[in-house]
Amino acid sequence: MSKMNEVKELVEAGKSKKVGAAVQEALDAGSQPAEILQAMVDSMSVVGEKFSSGEIFVPEMLIAAKAMSKGVDVLRPLMAGDNTASLGTCVIGTVAGDLHDIGKNLVSMMIESAGFTMVDLGVDVPAENFVKAAKENDNVTLIACSGLLTTTMPALKEAVETIKASGLSGCKVIVGGAPVTPEFAAEIGADGYAADAGSAAVKAKELVK
Amino acid sequence: MNQRENFFAMLEGKKPEFIPNIMELYKICVFGADRADQPLIGGLDVFGVNWIVTKEGEMPEPNKFLFEDIADWKDYVKFPDVDSLGIEEAAKIELADVNRDEIIVNVYSPTGLFERLAAFMGFENTLCSLVEDPDSCREFFEAFANYKIACLNRFIDAYQPDVITYLDDLATANGLFMSPAVYRSVIKPAHQRIVEAVTSRGVIFCQHTCGKCEKIIEDYVEMGAKIWSSAQISNDLEGIMDKYHGQLLVEGGWDSSGPASYIGASTEEVVAESIRCAKQYGKNGNFILFPTLLNENGNSLFVGDSRLGPMIEAWHGVEKL
Repeated sequence: MSKMNEVKELVEAGKSKKVGAAVQEALDAGSQPAEILQAMVDSMSVVGEKFSSGEIFVPEMLIAAKAMSKGVDVLRPLMAGDNTASLGTCVIGTVAGDLHDIGKNLVSMMIESAGFTMVDLGVDVPAENFVKAAKENDNVTLIACSGLLTTTMPALKEAVETIKASGLSGCKVIVGGAPVTPEFAAEIGADGYAADAGSAAVKAKELVK
Repeated sequence: MNQRENFFAMLEGKKPEFIPNIMELYKICVFGADRADQPLIGGLDVFGVNWIVTKEGEMPEPNKFLFEDIADWKDYVKFPDVDSLGIEEAAKIELADVNRDEIIVNVYSPTGLFERLAAFMGFENTLCSLVEDPDSCREFFEAFANYKIACLNRFIDAYQPDVITYLDDLATANGLFMSPAVYRSVIKPAHQRIVEAVTSRGVIFCQHTCGKCEKIIEDYVEMGAKIWSSAQISNDLEGIMDKYHGQLLVEGGWDSSGPASYIGASTEEVVAESIRCAKQYGKNGNFILFPTLLNENGNSLFVGDSRLGPMIEAWHGVEKL
C-alpha cells in the first residue's frame, strides 16, 4: 500500500495515534504537504458520506476528524502561508438563546475537515456577533448558524437577516439543526441548508466554489 | 374506566375506553430526581456538575467538564451517600394530594447512563470514548448503575410508584448517536441491570429516549420496558405500535419539530396536532399522547399555557375508542 493510501485509510478508520507517523512517512517518501492534505480531505468526504447514509455513527465520524487533525498537526509547519488548499474561513455558532453545541461542533469538525479555517463563536451567539466575527477575520467565505430548539428558530431567522443586511459580500450563510427544514432555510434567506454534519461539509464546499 | 383502570387495560393489551394523555394520566414526580440527579432550578448537582436552566429543560453547563479522559473517571467521580439525599422527604411533599385510586404515580429518573457520562465529560468525549476505550466506559456505567439502582430502590420505597420513567437520550433527530452494536456492547449491560432493578420490584419501567431510536426499541422491549416515551415522529411509530402491541405502550406522537411546537403556534394549530395524533396513533389502543408545547417561559406542561385548556377539551372530543 502506498504511504498516501495508508494515510487515507488511517484517517477513515480514526486511528489518531498512527496518522502523524504515516503523514511523516508520506512526506519522507516525497509527497507534497498539499497533496497529503487533499488525501485526508478526500477521506473525510468518504466519512461524511458514510455518516449521512447511516453506515457509520457519530463516534466513528468524531474519531476520524480527530485523526485528521493529528495529520494536519504534522503538515501545519510546512504549509504556513500556503492557502492553496484552503476554502477560506468559516464562522460558526449556535444562535442566541440556544446552548446546544453538539450539532454545531460536529458540523464544525466536518467543515474544517473539508478545508476551511474555523472561527467557532460557541453557543448563545447574538446575531450581530456573526457579522462582527466575519468582519474581524480574514477571507470569511461562509457563516454557519446552528439552532436545535424550535424556540430558537426566530433567533436563527434574525441571525440570517442580520448577516444579509450587514452588507458583507462574498460570504454565504448555511443553517441547520433539528427543527430546520430546507423550506425554513429558504424562507429566512439562507444560502444553504444541511440535514447533518456530513452533508454540511458537502454543501459548504458547494457554496463557496 | 378511570385513568388508572384504562391505563392498566392498555398495558395488558386489552382495548381501552379512551386514549390517555400524560397531563391527565400521571402524577409526574420529580423532587427525588432534583436531589439525586439534577437540580430542578439549576446549579450544582450531587456530583459537582453545574446545570443551566433553558426553555426546554436543563443541561450541563457547556464546555465545563469534570474530566476529559474516561480512564480517569475514578479520580473525579465521587458517588454520594444515598441516605443523605432526602428522597423520603421529597416523596412526602410531592405525594401530599395524590389520589392513587384515580391516576398513575410516575417517578422520573433523569440523566441515565449515557447522559450522565456526557454531563461529566461532554458529548464528544463521551462518544469517542465509547469506541476508543469501551472497557473504561463499561466500568463507569456499571458503577453508575449501582448508584442509580440504589436511588431507584429509594424512589420505590418512598413513592410506591406505578411507573418509573428512566430518561436517557441516546439519539439525534436522524438516528442513534452510536451504532446499535456499540450500544449493546458498552451501555446495554448496565442498562439491563437498571431495568431489572425496577421491574423486579413490580414497578412498570418506562424508557424515555428522544430522537430516532427505533433500531434499539427491540432491546428496550426485550429488557422489560413497558412504555417508550417521548416517541417522536422521526420513528415509524405506527409500525412499532403494530409490532409490539400488548408488549409496549408508545407515549409521544407529537411533531416536536413542527409548527405546533413553534413559539407562537396558534391554539388552532395545537388543537389540530393533538387531533392528528389521536387519529393517526390512537386507534391501536397502545398510544399515550405526550405533547411538546413550548412558550416563552418554557415547557407548557410545567409553566402553564392558555392553549392547554382548549387542547385538552378538543382531546376529550376525539379520545374515545
